[in-house]
Amino acid sequence: MRKKVNVLLYNTGAVAVGLLISACLLLFMDVNPAEVCAQTLSKIVTDKYNLGEVLVKATPLIFTSLAFAFTYKANLFNIGAQGQFLMGSIVAVSLSLTLQDTVPTALLLLLVLVGSFAAGAAVGGLIGAAKAKFSANEFLVSMMSTYVVTNFMDYLLRTSLQETKAEYMQTDAISAGAYLPNILPGTRVHLGFLLAVAAAVLVWVLLSKTSLGFQIRAVGRNPFSAELGGIRASRIYIIAFLISGGLAGLAGLTEINGVQHMLLRDFNASIGSYGIGIAILANGNPIGCIFASILFGFLNIMGTTMGRLPGLSIPASIIELIEGIVMICVIISYALRGYMENRSEKQRMRKAGV
Amino acid sequence: MLNLLTRAIMMSTPLLLGALAEVYAERTGMMICAIEGIFLIGAWGGFVGAYLSGSLALGLLAAVAAGIAMALVYAFVTVTLRQQQVVTGTALNILAVGVCAFFQRVLFGVPTTPLQIDTLPKLPVPLLSRIPLLGEIFFQQNILTYLAYILIPISIFVLYKTSLGLTIRSTGENPVAVDVAGINVNRVRFLTVLAAGGFGGLAGSFYTVGYLGMFTTSIIGGRGWIAFAICFLGNWSPKGAVLGTLAFGLADAISVYFRTGTTVFPTELIIALPYILTIVLTIFRSNFQVPAKLGVPYSKEN
Repeated sequence: MRKKVNVLLYNTGAVAVGLLISACLLLFMDVNPAEVCAQTLSKIVTDKYNLGEVLVKATPLIFTSLAFAFTYKANLFNIGAQGQFLMGSIVAVSLSLTLQDTVPTALLLLLVLVGSFAAGAAVGGLIGAAKAKFSANEFLVSMMSTYVVTNFMDYLLRTSLQETKAEYMQTDAISAGAYLPNILPGTRVHLGFLLAVAAAVLVWVLLSKTSLGFQIRAVGRNPFSAELGGIRASRIYIIAFLISGGLAGLAGLTEINGVQHMLLRDFNASIGSYGIGIAILANGNPIGCIFASILFGFLNIMGTTMGRLPGLSIPASIIELIEGIVMICVIISYALRGYMENRSEKQRMRKAGV
Repeated sequence: MLNLLTRAIMMSTPLLLGALAEVYAERTGMMICAIEGIFLIGAWGGFVGAYLSGSLALGLLAAVAAGIAMALVYAFVTVTLRQQQVVTGTALNILAVGVCAFFQRVLFGVPTTPLQIDTLPKLPVPLLSRIPLLGEIFFQQNILTYLAYILIPISIFVLYKTSLGLTIRSTGENPVAVDVAGINVNRVRFLTVLAAGGFGGLAGSFYTVGYLGMFTTSIIGGRGWIAFAICFLGNWSPKGAVLGTLAFGLADAISVYFRTGTTVFPTELIIALPYILTIVLTIFRSNFQVPAKLGVPYSKEN
């Protein structure tokens, strides 16, 4: 328990330091950081729509960060969440476009839910199988898979999935019957957010309360001793990647049916890499992923709001600057925490006269 | 066709510089997962340096400095503080986008016309460039490509025939032995990462200073990761890196070629081909010689 409090303390501190450094960088733009931040914050806090946008942005990030956190527990790196998400999106938009006027909304959404999970899981499962059967480097394979899926999507957007007008590389918009229902009137927050939270809770239960979760963590600690204990590591690799990919695929459902309502090029191009940062910020804890995702969602909205402040011309990409700095600060704080814990341990031993 | 091959050699240049940098670093046990960010910051540094000073040489110098600066942060966090390389790299890749976009705006505001710089001139090598066919493909390139040619034998020689190379290879295979021999493992790793950062920055500058003459934050578009992949594919050897680079360079050139023409052919397949190739080779190559301590931080206590 004390350790958990410690993690939380150090992480909060690191985020605060990161934000402070970012604010100081605003000085380069010849603006008063305090004033700009206050203006931005009041714009977000006083506007219900903007507050809702924070949750809208957080929703897919919860899924992609869970995807990374899940394999991370098995000491595997799935850095291909972006590709799994895109595959989920392709299936989500295809299912929605084909079935939208024939199938009732609830059933359709259920089908898309299963479909996008399966699509992501298929991509993830292939990576896991490559790791399990051929001991391929999962880090490299998952990274490359994103590029393959992206190009596959570009191809579909140019051919069979292209809009009827055939003007841009995008699909037709899905009809309102395929939308995820809105849960907060006056905002764009949709059912997907609750789904994401539920997924995080489920992942937490799965990892810490079930025997499968125990096996995954055991393999993550030491695959050889896990094998000795009768756990087949190769099976765990595949299962971990299946679930991880599926989680990333679900972000396709929330983004297609909840937000964008169509698929287009460069669709949410960076949620995969943000997912990694968020999972680290949350120390791989699924519940922590929810809060860290909301923080990133908030930073995201802060960036766009700052970019829109009249007469200042702050680039919206300041968001990447802030998020990068915050992530580095968090990583450094992990080193600091490790050092401090080590030191207090040594002191305790010295006091005990060892 | 000739044009295509000339272009393939050109597009291979930054990939080779990056892949060689990655080979050296990974031989000491350090994956440079920030390579995409290092490419980007190098591209930006080269552009800004060349634009502000008016000199392409200063631009290249600025690119090297920018790459080293980024590698410094990476080395500090991963070597000195012993944190996860993949995670630190991801953070720095995001940060690089932010830094470039933000300071681009700070320096230049919102320009009404896109900022342009001259690009490195093509320097035909006397005599050699007149060899039929080969001359046009290999010896009518810019200075960075020639640098890459020279680096191929040098990198092979240094890695396998010098004591420095032995130290580098041993640091990735058996850091304890290196330590016992009185060599500071973390210093070797730190300095190698810095050097790799310099070459990575130079590689990135190829896209701005050597080729396009302008800068956008999407200019690298995953090519840093390709250099990373080539290192794996080439089995952590400079020779392998050269072969891998040519394959990717050719694919890159073909995809650019097809994008300019109009075809019904799935060009996406060609763009994706190197990635598919990487996956297939990663899966089916059994004799990989991964440096034993790749990605594992070193500390004396354990």
